[in-house]
Amino acid sequence: MKKSSYFGTIALLVLFGCLPLFESSYALRIGIFACMYAIMAVSWTVIGGFTGYPSFATAAFFGFGAYCGGVLINKGWPLFAAVGAAGAVAFVSALLLGIALVRLRGHYFAIGSLAVAEVLREATNSATDLTGGGMGLNIPLAVTSSSSVMGEASFFFWAMLALLLLTFIVVHLIQQSKLGFGLVCIKQNESAADMIGVNATMYKSVAFAFSGVFVAMAGVLYAAWMHYIEPADVFDVLLAVKPIVMALLGGLGSPAGAVLGAFVFLGIEELVWRNFLQIHSGVLGLLVVVLLLFLPNGMMSIAKRLSFRRGQRG
Amino acid sequence: MLVIQVLLNGIVLGSLYACIAVGFSLVWGVLNVINLMHGSFIVLGSYLAWGAYNALGLAPWTALLIAAPAFFCLGYAIQRGILNRVIAAPVLVTLTLTFGLDLMLNNAMLIGFKADYRRLILDPSLGTVSVGSLVVPTDRIVATIFALLLTLVLYLVLRRSRIGRAIVAVRMDRDASRLMGVDVPSIYAITFGLGAAMAGCAGVLLAMIYPISPIAAGSFLGKAFVVCVLGGLGSVPGAVVGGLFLGVMESFGSLAFGPEHSVTLSFGLLILFLIVRPQGLLGKRGFE
Amino acid sequence: MLGLNLRSHRARILSLFACAVVMTFTGITTHAQEVIRFGAPLPLTGALAPEALKQQQGYDLWAEQVNKAGGIKVGNKKMKVEIVYTDYQSNTPRAVQAAEKLITQDKVDFLFSPFGSGAAKAASTVSEKYGVPTIAATASSAQVYDQGYKFLFGTFTPNDTLTTPLVDIVRQKAPGVKRVAILARNDLFPLALAQEMEKSAKQKGLEIVFFEKYAINTMDHSTALSLIKAQSPHWIFATGYINDLVLIKKQMGDQKIEAPVVTMIAGPAYQEFIDALGKSAENISSASWWDKAARYKGQDIFGSTENYNKLFREKYKSDPDYTHASSSVSGALFQMAIEKAGTLDRNKVRDELARMNVPTFWGPVKFGPTGQITSLEPPVFQIQNGKAMVLHPASIKQAEFKLSVK
Repeated sequence: MKKSSYFGTIALLVLFGCLPLFESSYALRIGIFACMYAIMAVSWTVIGGFTGYPSFATAAFFGFGAYCGGVLINKGWPLFAAVGAAGAVAFVSALLLGIALVRLRGHYFAIGSLAVAEVLREATNSATDLTGGGMGLNIPLAVTSSSSVMGEASFFFWAMLALLLLTFIVVHLIQQSKLGFGLVCIKQNESAADMIGVNATMYKSVAFAFSGVFVAMAGVLYAAWMHYIEPADVFDVLLAVKPIVMALLGGLGSPAGAVLGAFVFLGIEELVWRNFLQIHSGVLGLLVVVLLLFLPNGMMSIAKRLSFRRGQRG
Repeated sequence: MLVIQVLLNGIVLGSLYACIAVGFSLVWGVLNVINLMHGSFIVLGSYLAWGAYNALGLAPWTALLIAAPAFFCLGYAIQRGILNRVIAAPVLVTLTLTFGLDLMLNNAMLIGFKADYRRLILDPSLGTVSVGSLVVPTDRIVATIFALLLTLVLYLVLRRSRIGRAIVAVRMDRDASRLMGVDVPSIYAITFGLGAAMAGCAGVLLAMIYPISPIAAGSFLGKAFVVCVLGGLGSVPGAVVGGLFLGVMESFGSLAFGPEHSVTLSFGLLILFLIVRPQGLLGKRGFE
Repeated sequence: MLGLNLRSHRARILSLFACAVVMTFTGITTHAQEVIRFGAPLPLTGALAPEALKQQQGYDLWAEQVNKAGGIKVGNKKMKVEIVYTDYQSNTPRAVQAAEKLITQDKVDFLFSPFGSGAAKAASTVSEKYGVPTIAATASSAQVYDQGYKFLFGTFTPNDTLTTPLVDIVRQKAPGVKRVAILARNDLFPLALAQEMEKSAKQKGLEIVFFEKYAINTMDHSTALSLIKAQSPHWIFATGYINDLVLIKKQMGDQKIEAPVVTMIAGPAYQEFIDALGKSAENISSASWWDKAARYKGQDIFGSTENYNKLFREKYKSDPDYTHASSSVSGALFQMAIEKAGTLDRNKVRDELARMNVPTFWGPVKFGPTGQITSLEPPVFQIQNGKAMVLHPASIKQAEFKLSVK
């Protein structure tokens, strides 16, 4: 990612942190979702964009984080400890699971990763004593220090935004690192990468783990904010598909693009929900189709073409 | 006795699963496209059967004669018009594209038909068949027989007709087939049409047994996935074996672990097979 | 040429982004406060749409009656009523978002809960945060009210008030019934209800031979039913929503499962259930929170159960069931609380609701400390000859309990 995109995105995000000044907790609700979506899209880029493995596991990580965090908070853990713990467990589990899963390629990997979410959802549904099963899980209200609506909304907004910044910076560092280089090699030609000494299985598993850790942490924040979660909501398959669409919208392989894609996607989704409620999933579908047929390289490609043009003229 | 009843349930269920999955498997195996609209096609087929019965008095097995060509044309058009543009694109693109198309189709059905469950109630009802204490509802038996018949017809088409052989050739080696003079884009469209036709017909048969609603599309699709991975891609015997295997496993799994776990069980099997034997029981591996 | 295209491309993208941002983050709120606005988030599309439609009918009937009479009396003026509907597509997080949107963007004064226990519970957090009095017309599980909230009220009594009289009647009329099989939908209300049934049954000495859950949107219950059949239970108790229960009964028929007693909640109260099953609905028992056979007299705008039935039939050309009635009474309760308080001040209205103790066409209304109503005597009924006949309480009893469901 170019330096300009990197710093530009960070600057915009920091600016975004001023949202609470508008005194609208509904705006903050949208803002929290925007950051959450962006975290998912950027995280997905590691496994889907850099490595080229179409992962549908985002829903699994999110739900896992939400329930892990929810259960811990119920046991009295403070919020940030729960976030950290859920993230750590998610990372290790994803690493181990990854080792089994990344032997698969293409469609098989996609299905396998999707199936993980289904299995986790059903397991959560059945473990009624621990998770409340189909009856849902309550998370206590007094998680934050503030008790006003704006106070609580601002708290979660900043927490989610901070997590997004962390995710973005870490993913950028991955991209610059040896891991990132190895992943790109794997994407281009996995057998060749193996030959030049890239331990493909290890690299892919680590990428898979990174694609999950921040999503799980976002799940904990989501659960604490909503106060009540059900398996069907946090393991929803749409949560696996939307980040992919957002990343594609922004430009595959670009973390800054993923952030942009997430924000634009959310904006469109809100617009459609407000005004075209009946056909809102149809409009989403149409967006996906149009995007894939006519703008397969996302919005960042337009920026790239533009700067190339400038370069030529200059 | 209970064990035999459970086995019987499993076989009947499995045959239905096979019928649901065979079109999906064909498209995946030949075009390397996972058609996420498959579940919605099935539901649309069910609505067609329902409409045909209530408006025209046509029994489901007669409605098959309308469904097959109608869905074939639909599938052909979608592939030729939209999917063909991205046929060489990575897995991600085709998968997400069919997901988007499915969202549109499902939404259209929701608006057109509403989410209320409709039932196709045959009058007079077909009743049940009992042997001793074993009971099987007749409508399931009828559906199973037709499902297997349809599957057989598809198998014969693939093996015996020129088009069928061309399809199999493309499945085995696309570039070689092209060199042999096969019009590959045309074959792709025909295959997709066949897949859609099978889905529509499966829907017609399922309408006799299950309630009809756009909401059901997801669960049909999920079953199709699992059957394909279990049985092996792109082949009719694979779908049949996979379907029966899944049906029987689910039935006995419910007996052993309780009915609420049947979905977990099927996806657990999926993951297990993906890791241990991704080419499925019959070993016909798909593209990577 | 290319340059022009790129510029307009970029401009298009940027303006799209800007539009999205602007439209998303600014509200669209202007209205005159001459009208009292009630927010009603409902699953108007999706799997729960049939139930949402009933709620909407109930609310609309009340609003129509109130506005016909000039409106709600607030202090010394009358204000008309407007109900603002938002569809949350049977999706719980959307229900929560819808509730917040209604409160902050549409600026409603009071709120009706979304349908069912799960969504009502999730959305109640929003009401509590903003201090908006909320009445849940279709949430019965005690778990909905266990968060210690002050602004949530519910018109359904807890689940055990349904199961206890059922068990009592069966014990009394059919002492031979000993073995109970329970099949529950894995969802807040149906599962909680099934757990209550297990408790009530065990307390009265019955044996639970089968207790299993089925996933939401399950379409094939044949294995569960085979297992139930193998246990030869005397009493089959199934919970879920109308679609699930119709399917279960149909598949019971497929496997020729018969039992002396079959109870299903919540579906048999609806005419659609009886229509869908025809003869095979015969002798299915159930319980609900209200039946049109009741003969309550009330201080609410409807005045009596009979009058409510009459007005409902005039408007919708069919008979009301408990979902319709509960929704209408929720509106009527808000009306009475506002009129008593004499103001739209949310805290004052909330306090009036908390101390309410009035007879209504729905039954006597008094809320307990958690906000859930405690004063109802839920009717137990059974489908006989294609009609729902009340068996209990004695004051509105219409028929005797009959055994044997085929």
